[in-house]
Amino acid sequence: MQSIATRKKPSRAHILTAVIIAAVYALVFAAEQLLPASSMLFIVLKKGATYALVAVSMNLLNGFTGIFSLGQAGFMLLGAYTFAIFTIPEESREIVYQYYNGGLIRFALPVIPALVLSGLVAALFAFLVGLPVLKLKSDYLAIATLGFAEIIRAIFQWDKLGAITNGSNMLHQFPSFSSFNIRNAQGEVVVYLSTLVPFVIAGVCIALIVLLINSTYGRALKAIRDDETAAEAMGVNLFHHKQLAFCISSFFAGIGGAMLAMYACTVQAKSFTSAMTYEILLIVVLGGVGSITGSCLSAFLFVACSEWWLRFLDNTYTIGSFQVPLLRNGFRLVVFSVIIMVVVLFFRKGIMGERELLDLLRGRKGKEAAK
Amino acid sequence: MSENVLKINHLTMQFGGVVAVNDLRMEINRGEIVALIGPNGAGKTTAFNCVTGVYEPTNGEILFEGKPIARNHPTGRMRKLYAGTMGDAYRGRIVRNTPDQITRRGIARTFQNIRLFGSMTVFENVLLARHLRRSSNVLTAMLRINRREEKRMREDAMQLLRVVGLEDVRDERATSLPYGKQRLLEIARALATEPSLLLLDEPAAGMNPQETEELGTFIQRIKKQFNLTILIIEHHMNLIMDISDRIYVVDFGRLIAQGTPDEIQNNDAVIAAYLGGDEA
Amino acid sequence: MKTVLPYLLSGISVGGQYALIAIGYTMVYGILRLINFAHGDVFMVSGILMVYLTATGLPLYVVIPIVLLATVFIGFAIERIAYKPLRTAPRMSIMISAIGVSYFLQNLVLYITGGLSKVYPAIPFISQSVTLTLFGVTLPTTKVATLITPPLTILLVIGLVLLINHTKIGMAMRAVSKDFETSQLMGIKINRVISATFVIGSFLAAIGSMLYFTNYPSVVATSGSMPGLKAFVAAVFGGIGSIPGAVIGAFIIGICENIIKGLDLILFKAGITHKMLGLTTFSDAFTFVLLIVILIIKPTGLFGEKTTDKV
Repeated sequence: MQSIATRKKPSRAHILTAVIIAAVYALVFAAEQLLPASSMLFIVLKKGATYALVAVSMNLLNGFTGIFSLGQAGFMLLGAYTFAIFTIPEESREIVYQYYNGGLIRFALPVIPALVLSGLVAALFAFLVGLPVLKLKSDYLAIATLGFAEIIRAIFQWDKLGAITNGSNMLHQFPSFSSFNIRNAQGEVVVYLSTLVPFVIAGVCIALIVLLINSTYGRALKAIRDDETAAEAMGVNLFHHKQLAFCISSFFAGIGGAMLAMYACTVQAKSFTSAMTYEILLIVVLGGVGSITGSCLSAFLFVACSEWWLRFLDNTYTIGSFQVPLLRNGFRLVVFSVIIMVVVLFFRKGIMGERELLDLLRGRKGKEAAK
Repeated sequence: MSENVLKINHLTMQFGGVVAVNDLRMEINRGEIVALIGPNGAGKTTAFNCVTGVYEPTNGEILFEGKPIARNHPTGRMRKLYAGTMGDAYRGRIVRNTPDQITRRGIARTFQNIRLFGSMTVFENVLLARHLRRSSNVLTAMLRINRREEKRMREDAMQLLRVVGLEDVRDERATSLPYGKQRLLEIARALATEPSLLLLDEPAAGMNPQETEELGTFIQRIKKQFNLTILIIEHHMNLIMDISDRIYVVDFGRLIAQGTPDEIQNNDAVIAAYLGGDEA
Repeated sequence: MKTVLPYLLSGISVGGQYALIAIGYTMVYGILRLINFAHGDVFMVSGILMVYLTATGLPLYVVIPIVLLATVFIGFAIERIAYKPLRTAPRMSIMISAIGVSYFLQNLVLYITGGLSKVYPAIPFISQSVTLTLFGVTLPTTKVATLITPPLTILLVIGLVLLINHTKIGMAMRAVSKDFETSQLMGIKINRVISATFVIGSFLAAIGSMLYFTNYPSVVATSGSMPGLKAFVAAVFGGIGSIPGAVIGAFIIGICENIIKGLDLILFKAGITHKMLGLTTFSDAFTFVLLIVILIIKPTGLFGEKTTDKV
């Protein structure tokens, strides 16, 4: 947290942070123009950016407000569906909603309004769910939010809502990240933006969350996490602030869900299971509960490991007539979960603890303040 | 007659079969320092918790600046179990305020077992307490449209740290401070909510005699500077006798004596119940 | 009635199976204040063990005891490896550790089975099909497992209650669940008590898995998560920490869930609705609706005790 002195003029650490972030964006842009579009790197970067946003939104709740919510997949589902439903082009609706006569909705929104709308829908549901649920104590809250996510999933698969949700069939044909690539008249890509755009969306959202955390409201949320009774005695309205955190977190989880839809090009309710929430929770823990930088880093690491770097574990190798033992389909996930358990048990602070990039750059003085 | 700041009528707090506070009556006038004393477990902190809205009293009412902030009467199972008196006197509208509403009205408190925000610095602890006097909403705060307010909040917090003499350690983690300074920080934090009534729960606990004496002067100073009325729970008798205008003594939840420090020192009931004949 | 009865019957049976899992949740929660997210997966692993051990060709009277023992050992080992080191850590860390174990077990089974669903072996007698006639109504053919689950569950629960009320370890368990720190000060060997809890919980889950999977064609890596969650909801519903509560909650949830599965048909046959509503989709979700409703109305569940925080 900045003290008054550092507020007035940006310190060296602030400038460095800005430079690093700008450099990351420049690299992403450059890499996309130079490397073949089919490279694994881009899959990791797109999915990583999506997961980074969702992880940060979960961290806002679990790490900064101390609300142990397990409803993230439910809010992502809401966001993903809202986005998909409102952006499928009119001419594709007959094909997508083939069992429901083209569905109920007959118009399509542009991408950005649809993104905001998907956040708003998730936030609205969060508001309604929060009314009863946020009064519960820690574990009960966790299980109630988990239950809520399951209920949402069932509702979206319900046949009778098929005209809107397409029932248990998948939604597709809506804009994906590759729709952002700029093409010339012949349909060839002139400028690749399909990776930069998710970075920009996630970046803007995460920046907003960081601004919130460093505002007076963010301090109130941290106070609730540290000591509810004391926070209340200092005039912080517990319910109001928890509700606020819950809605904002869900808003961004909704946008994250929409991004996931764009990444995957399809949406189907059955993929938003509690296992997805657990995955995101593990990302948060690996990065360090209470560190935005940590959540972002570990999201990319997590995706890179599970989609790319550990892929070799899934393939069988034979050297001569000798087959390397253990390596076959599924081994990657086993190794992966062992790594996670090791981190949870022995490196409880995760990659970053509660520190941010800024604290690292500040050097020793920053570390003292962070301790 | 001077103006009542806090008036407690027939306050009873019962947990199941245990009556922690029984028919307590108190009046605090503007500008006074009033002490609430009694042996351990006498119900002092419970009374504080009722005033600050942490507990909902079983019976009785609490008026702050003439308006009720809590009023209740025993109902349901408690009606049968009720062990206090005046069980029927407060039928009618139940008044219940949450702690934050009460703080907003102008009652601030410190905690017996220090409750600072452990992940925050000294400065942030005080700054947080300015949150309730904000005029910004979450959007203006997030987008930094409230710059001027934020700046003023920071100045206010800094000012308060100077008052309690903690400006040198403002970037330390609050919980890393020595005990005595943590207690001062709790007071600074309470002052940041702009109270007119300050409740101090054993502010001298764990302090040595010299620190305690300084605390006495300090309390009188902030009382003047911030125009406060103070209710204090304390076991250090020297401090109590030095600074308080009037004293209430409770034992087993009941009020056993009230009066000026001189009267209390010579009250037989107090000596019997509280001091147990000991010349402490 | 004729349409409702089969659903009711399978509801009672599933309820009994949930009850056996729910006891594991409620006992662990009572003592450690931990939602043992891995419990449902222990249940699933027990099913997988059964599949693989039977495939070795060993006779059933050898396989079943081995499965029970192995499941008990897994439960014990999970506690020692994943929960014990975190005893002084914040509640959230230990819950995350539980989620991690659950993730690990699922991935391990996914790897071992190669992602295929494994056919659950037939256990003689309880896998047999019978046709019953009840109140003059001939029920559809069911497996013996369905019929013996409720009495077996009740029997096991009675045994457990006796154990808790009349043995030294049972008394220690009650003491620890009332006050962790004080009982530690009173010389109760906390770790033994906790291990015993996990052993009992896993043992019951193993029995539950035999009864449960006999009614289903196969076991996959995620087979445990839904029954696990439902059993946990049952435990919350009954008042977490209370064994009778968990059992009653489990029966209620099992029955409700199966009635909902058949609700379309029941309503249709009763002439209340004139077309199918597809309500079966909600059989899982309903459990959670029930959970949220009970948490709002009575957060401590049916038989839970109220606790107050000291300020």
